[in-house]
Amino acid sequence: MRPFLLSRDTFHILVALADRDRHGYSIMQEIAERTGGEIRLSPSTLYSAVKRLLEQGFIEELEERPDPEHDDQRRRYYRLTKTGKRAAMEEARHLEKLLSDARASGLARKRA
Amino acid sequence: MSRAAKSQAGVLRLYQPFLWLYPAEFRDEYRRELCLAFVDRWREEHSIAGALFVWLHAIFGIFYQAPREHYHMIIHDLRYAFRILRKDFSVTAAAILILALGIGSTTLVFSLANGLLLRPLPYWQPERIIAVTESSPKDPNETTQISFPNYFDIRNRTRLLEDIGVYDNNQAAVRGEGSAERIPSAVASDGVFRVLGVEPLLGRAISPEDDTPGGPKVVLLSEELWQRRYGRDPHILGRTLQIDDSRWTVIGVMPARFHFPDRADLWFPLQMNPLKARRTDYFLRAIARLKPGVSVEQATSELESLLEQIHRENPAVNNNWSARAIPIRDFVAGPYRKAVITLLVAVGLLLLIACANVCNLLLVKASARVREIAIRAALGATRRRLLRQLVTESLLLGLAGGALGVLLAYLGIPALLSLIPVNLPLWMNFSPDSRVLGFAVAVSLLTALGFGIVPAFGSFHADLTDSLKEGGRGGTSGTRSKFMRQGLVIGEVALSVILLAGAGLMIRSFLALRMQDLGYHPENVLTVSIDYPESRYPDGAPARAMLRRLTEEVSSVPGLISTSFSSGIPLNDGWGRLFTIEGHPLELKDMTFINHIVVTPGYFRTLDIPLLQGRDFTEDDFDAPRIVIVSDSFAKKNWPKESPIGKRIRFGPPKNSEPWHTVVGVVADSKHGTYKGEDRASVYLPYNSEITPNALLVRTAGDPLQLQQSLRSRIVAFDSDIVVSRVFSLEQIIDRAGWQDRFLTVLFSCFAALALLLAAVGLYATISYSVSLSTHEIGIRMALGASASRVRAMILRQGMTLAAAGLFIGIVVAFALARLLKTQLYQISPNDPATYIAVPILLILVAALAAFLPTRRATRVDPVIALRHE
Repeated sequence: MRPFLLSRDTFHILVALADRDRHGYSIMQEIAERTGGEIRLSPSTLYSAVKRLLEQGFIEELEERPDPEHDDQRRRYYRLTKTGKRAAMEEARHLEKLLSDARASGLARKRA
Repeated sequence: MSRAAKSQAGVLRLYQPFLWLYPAEFRDEYRRELCLAFVDRWREEHSIAGALFVWLHAIFGIFYQAPREHYHMIIHDLRYAFRILRKDFSVTAAAILILALGIGSTTLVFSLANGLLLRPLPYWQPERIIAVTESSPKDPNETTQISFPNYFDIRNRTRLLEDIGVYDNNQAAVRGEGSAERIPSAVASDGVFRVLGVEPLLGRAISPEDDTPGGPKVVLLSEELWQRRYGRDPHILGRTLQIDDSRWTVIGVMPARFHFPDRADLWFPLQMNPLKARRTDYFLRAIARLKPGVSVEQATSELESLLEQIHRENPAVNNNWSARAIPIRDFVAGPYRKAVITLLVAVGLLLLIACANVCNLLLVKASARVREIAIRAALGATRRRLLRQLVTESLLLGLAGGALGVLLAYLGIPALLSLIPVNLPLWMNFSPDSRVLGFAVAVSLLTALGFGIVPAFGSFHADLTDSLKEGGRGGTSGTRSKFMRQGLVIGEVALSVILLAGAGLMIRSFLALRMQDLGYHPENVLTVSIDYPESRYPDGAPARAMLRRLTEEVSSVPGLISTSFSSGIPLNDGWGRLFTIEGHPLELKDMTFINHIVVTPGYFRTLDIPLLQGRDFTEDDFDAPRIVIVSDSFAKKNWPKESPIGKRIRFGPPKNSEPWHTVVGVVADSKHGTYKGEDRASVYLPYNSEITPNALLVRTAGDPLQLQQSLRSRIVAFDSDIVVSRVFSLEQIIDRAGWQDRFLTVLFSCFAALALLLAAVGLYATISYSVSLSTHEIGIRMALGASASRVRAMILRQGMTLAAAGLFIGIVVAFALARLLKTQLYQISPNDPATYIAVPILLILVAALAAFLPTRRATRVDPVIALRHE
């Protein structure tokens, strides 16, 4: 099996951006909520990952503000790119495969 | 401001300083985002524990991520730099090669300096060890050995020296258990080992009981000799060895790599009697250990007053000399210090030239890159970012050049040492160590900054829009850069002229040294040291009979023209003695030394020293001694208006009971004691029953070295107990005497040649580049009817102007600096006209060649093509 493309934190960021464009703090919040507070990124971890994802072209910074309700002029918003989406989907497929392998060998509970 | 806002501002003030851990680019880009996200997160928590967690989490995150950002940035810069350097492979390769030559030569010379001047000597607390010497009243830097009684009195009276010991270099013939061989050895008083503070590996060192007159016959071995000759015999202690004519009991083995002085492998107790030793026999070297906290100056002033006291008590032997303490490092390395520093300066100049050369290459490259840099700046790269990128490229170049340079130096050390014909003292260790490596890295980095900074800053001065407009022809990007390039070339030429002038002076001096009249003809002379067992051939009739038979035996070797024995090989062994002319008694302090040489008949014939007056020695002189032959200068100085024949002289200090010797002949002057500089006058004595000569000199019909084997086997066949050693032709002996000058001259000349080459390459590159820039101008000129030869002359003039400017500056500086070489030069003035005529001629020729090559390309420019560029 080939190694995973994305680190855990990076994957979480991509997942957080999958439904809508977000600014940094919103990404942190979303991850914390989704994992029930189990995974909390520090600002530095978040922005190091963001920088890397921007360089790789997996996300992009928005010029316009997408969310008039929550818009905060001071903040930068990020959006998942097509490449980023493909990478995240690929990663999800790998995780799925891994999970099903784990189930088959009794390491994880079978689906109800 | 509300309370919440206040506390928020306070938290930020605490958080922000940590952001300085990030690279500037990252910080500039994300500082605001990081702060906002942190404050939002902080506001989420209301409990103290929660707030504390957010804090720690955030700070830990910075400590974890910031180094990674630095790492990413460096890797990114390196990758980019690597790509850029690979793209311009020829420029990169040239730069690395030039740097490797510069850094390699510097590292090589630094290894020498490290081994001689920096590496700690292998003794305990070597900074507290001093050499104790007697020093001349005329020049305190002129020092001599010390006499045993003086040492003895100093030892008993000193309050500042913890211990003092004396020693003398020697050679010992070791016989039995395998072939007889001559081994470097020393006689030493018991204090020597305590001063050095080195414990024996086995057994004990020489004790005060060993070092008493008539004390036990004991000997100490080096670990190397124990290994080589005695196979690490575990029962070596207490074993008796046949050395010279007696049996000596081994009391100890010194640890590996301990050799003192120089190369000694055997140590014998000195066992001198202070009552019998003469105060005027200055033949011992003394070392002492300072008490803790005592300075060398304090020791010197104590020694001065002690010697003064000794002279007051013994007025008959007062020679007015004083005493001096010299740090042991200066004492052993002193003779080499000047040469090493001269080489360091030379190699430093070479490194500067290499730097200027690479700087020039990068300037040319930078002007070709103006467009690239302008585009990157337009795309938002900050100035700092670009600068960092350019410096990374330089550092990469510097380190690559440095690595190759260290490799060159590493390979060069053995080659360099192979130029040295003598066995160096074993405390010298030239193998590269961490200090040398650290030096090389530091030099590489400094060099990289040196050649990298200028072009990097230069890149920004180009106007952005201009460079984009120009379409990357790299064109007019500044008269500034052009001036800088020309300045660099002028500097390079000037530096190389300085080195060339230095090399020229050294070559001239070396030639003068080699062509000096030694007073004998060294070609076709073979010299051999021999040691015979004195118990079987005691001085007097038995030794004489043996020498006579040995002479006959040796003379029958085919190809030998003449044979003789003497008490020493010229320029190799010497014995200086004081003397008194009958009727002209002198005080001790006014006396001078002469070379005291004992020879068998045939000596002057063998060396081809002409007899000027009187007669040569004959076989019968053995029985009628007390006669001497003196050198021409000795005769002229002491009997300027009379014939010296029949006059009498006496050896030793004034008022002694030595017999008078009558002068029977005068021979031409010849060099025995000193190769470089004024030699003492010489007095020859016929072989007599008091001193048996131990050097064999033969003149051969052909190459003397061809005969060494047959000569050696003839002597061993005569008596296998005779040890034959140090077989050299007299020319080899002269080579060895002048090795330091040759070494320095060869090395200096190599550096000068490299410097000239680099300067020529720099000149060529600059002219070549300017030709490529002015293709357009040349095209117009040629279209307007300028002939090829006029264009050529124009370019040549441009090159020669630069060369002439460099030459002028170089000559002026060289002229000012040359007097620093004065002490190294032999019979050549630092303002030697020949050198200052030859160097400019050589430089002009090389510069003309370097400037001429690009002209050929210029005149091949087709005006139509050149103008089509518009």
